[in-house]
Amino acid sequence: MAGFAGAYDSICGRAVNAAIIRIFGGGFQVTLAPDLLDKLSRIVGANKLLMDAEAHVQYGRDWTRVETPSPAAVALPGSIEQVQALVQLANAEGLAIVPSGGRTGLSGGAVAARGELVVALDNLNQIGAFNSIDRSVVCGAGVITEQLQQFAEDQGLHYPVDFASSGSSQIGGNVATNAGGIKVIRYGMTRDWVVGLKVVTGTGELLELNAGLIKNNAGYDLRHLMIGSEGTLGIIVEVTIRLCRAPTDLAVMVLGVPDMPSIMSTLAEFRQQMELTAFEFFSEPALQKVVAHQDLQRPFDEPCAYYALLEFEQTSGSEMDQAMALFEHCLEQGWVLDGVVSQSVAQARNLWRLREDISETIARWAPYKNDLSVVVSKVPEFLTAVEALVNAAYPDFEIIWYGHIGDGNVHLNILKPESLSIADFAEQCGEVSKGVFEIVREHRGSVSAEHGVGVLKKPYLPYSRSPLEIELMRAIKRSFDPNGVLNPGKIFDL
Amino acid sequence: MKVLVAVKRVVDYNVKVRAKADGTGADLNNVKMAINPFCEIAIEEAVRLKEAGVATEVIAVSIGDKSCQEQIRTALALGADRGIQVETDGSPEPLVVAKLLKGVIAKEEPQLVILGKQSIDGDNNQTGQMLGALTNMPQGTFASEIKVEGDKLNVTREIDGGLQTIALNLPAIVTTDLRLNEPRYASLPNIMKAKKKQLDVYTPADLGVEPSAHLTTVKVEPPAERQAGIIVESVEQLVDKLKNEAKVIS
Ligand SMILES: Cc1cc2nc3c(=O)[nH]c(=O)nc-3n(C[C@H](O)[C@H](O)[C@H](O)COP(=O)(O)OP(=O)(O)OC[C@H]3O[C@@H](n4cnc5c(N)ncnc54)[C@H](O)[C@@H]3O)c2cc1C
Repeated sequence: MAGFAGAYDSICGRAVNAAIIRIFGGGFQVTLAPDLLDKLSRIVGANKLLMDAEAHVQYGRDWTRVETPSPAAVALPGSIEQVQALVQLANAEGLAIVPSGGRTGLSGGAVAARGELVVALDNLNQIGAFNSIDRSVVCGAGVITEQLQQFAEDQGLHYPVDFASSGSSQIGGNVATNAGGIKVIRYGMTRDWVVGLKVVTGTGELLELNAGLIKNNAGYDLRHLMIGSEGTLGIIVEVTIRLCRAPTDLAVMVLGVPDMPSIMSTLAEFRQQMELTAFEFFSEPALQKVVAHQDLQRPFDEPCAYYALLEFEQTSGSEMDQAMALFEHCLEQGWVLDGVVSQSVAQARNLWRLREDISETIARWAPYKNDLSVVVSKVPEFLTAVEALVNAAYPDFEIIWYGHIGDGNVHLNILKPESLSIADFAEQCGEVSKGVFEIVREHRGSVSAEHGVGVLKKPYLPYSRSPLEIELMRAIKRSFDPNGVLNPGKIFDL
Repeated sequence: MKVLVAVKRVVDYNVKVRAKADGTGADLNNVKMAINPFCEIAIEEAVRLKEAGVATEVIAVSIGDKSCQEQIRTALALGADRGIQVETDGSPEPLVVAKLLKGVIAKEEPQLVILGKQSIDGDNNQTGQMLGALTNMPQGTFASEIKVEGDKLNVTREIDGGLQTIALNLPAIVTTDLRLNEPRYASLPNIMKAKKKQLDVYTPADLGVEPSAHLTTVKVEPPAERQAGIIVESVEQLVDKLKNEAKVIS
């Protein structure tokens, strides 16, 4: 893990004034000096400064399990001013801050393993002004994604960004990762719904960006730099979100498909004639695991190599007939082998669970996750190449494929065999990843389609970004956070 | 053995229904409709009997206006062999439905009739029992398991204290409970085939029934809104409020 040495040095270099650092085993623990603790608790209040070991584990890591959580303290600010004061103190005292949302991230972006101060936005969880003319709503960063979805529904509207972790992830975290999810094919990424942001920069200043405007070409749009910056440029404290019309009568189809190219032919056929709200895929081993662990029913008995899940609105009443005709055509072409369609909301939900419960189901195998994307037209050749490499490289590993294939985004999950330690497993996967990322590079794809870089993908950033791009990113980072207090060691080293 | 299954078109179980402003009923405009979940279980059971070689033909019958043909087609896609629609305006009350079903039974002479224990719109839980009385057929209601043995049908029923198994002489009537089975998904190839299956339409007159109404809906209104809760400061305050405001303890 050579990549961490830089971050480690930069934190320790500055943190020594304020803290006593004890290094033991592979990890280390930072104990903050009493006067610094005092200052922190004066900002947020003693009961909002968590010092117990349990809280430190809970707030010190996201969904990844590669690093051992070890924050120095966890602060739960209750106002924007408190966030600013925390960042100012961090600058003065040389403390590193890890902004923390729902900690459902999959790249280790919210991991605090080096004695950082975790700033958790949980308490900035108010849903504020709703404007029915602008169809916009102001949310504190700590609002849970599902809470916003529910709020939109209560107004007869819709917040369309959705994924399996929306019951725990926060709007601030979604913006910081530019989360995608299962409806991107129709509704785009989180970025497309953010019309305003309030952000505390690395110097503790408050930036108000875009204020809800649809059109605003007055100079650089710094809002879009903040979106997807994974807590390295600023702490997002408030988000103005645009809402849309709620979809009518969604129908879900699950189709059995013989191979990857057939999935793409099916996608092309459907997309030519219909507006899909989702087009997802998963493999037979993924289906088997979900069915076994979530007490769900297979869509049909006949096993197929892959399954495509597609969803569409029924607004005019003719969509189902059209979809049936398309299915028939795909069947004749041999692209699909069988299929089912939801007849009720309950069935639609259960079919969705076959796809949405995969991530949670396979978590027990501590999977090594790759989140790859290429342009849709290149998906077949890209996947053929990746599949060949992976099958040759991991003959003994179990591979679970699924993802948002309609966006050219696939999740390649490698399950950890029981006999291997997490570290050995990560190392072996890391080796083969280089081969996979080489293929990504050849196809001009992304090593992280929607999960961000965090620490897990940091070594591989150069496969997707040129040295010039990364150098410019560093320059941007320095403009917003000159002292490097915000999430150091994430995305790239300075 | 011929099996007749009753299928009702209802508002989808997961849809939040709203009362019409004038209180005359539920607002069904643009609301998603589906097969009543208990009827779905009834179809599944009939199809399983057919797959097991026990049933020879499964007939799905629905009573309602033309739109209920959609649910009959779904039943056909799930494995029923042919369908019957009894054309009526709106949704007749249980006694009329039972009389119409009796008419269909007289025409088709099934050995087994499977219905849902209730439909989730009216929640009446009456049709199966009324049909039993009208036809003089034995009934096994709230079935969680059924087994055909010769000319007998063993029905395991979900009752308050546990399970009760009864033996019925065929022909018989069964109403389904939730645990009887888990219905399958409608397969797309079968939906295509279902379009070509036979679907006959009868009028109540064809069945010798004159639909009559014995019930009038006086008013439909939403349940009272729940009042917002409060957070109390102490146990003493809680006890005080329970005693003096809510008056649930003394
Ligand atoms: C089961 C499961 C399914 C998932 N499916 C998807 C999917 O389909 N699509 C997808 O895109 N992602 C998916 N994810 C990943 C994850 O849910 C998203 O990345 C989500 O947006 C993270 O939000 P969070 O609040 O949990 O952020 P966290 O994990 O807490 O943080 C993520 C990053 O954002 C930073 N951050 C958090 N809050 C703030 C803030 N207020 N200001 C500045 N920086 C902040 C953190 O420092 C970290 O770098 C999934 C995760 C799980 C567990």
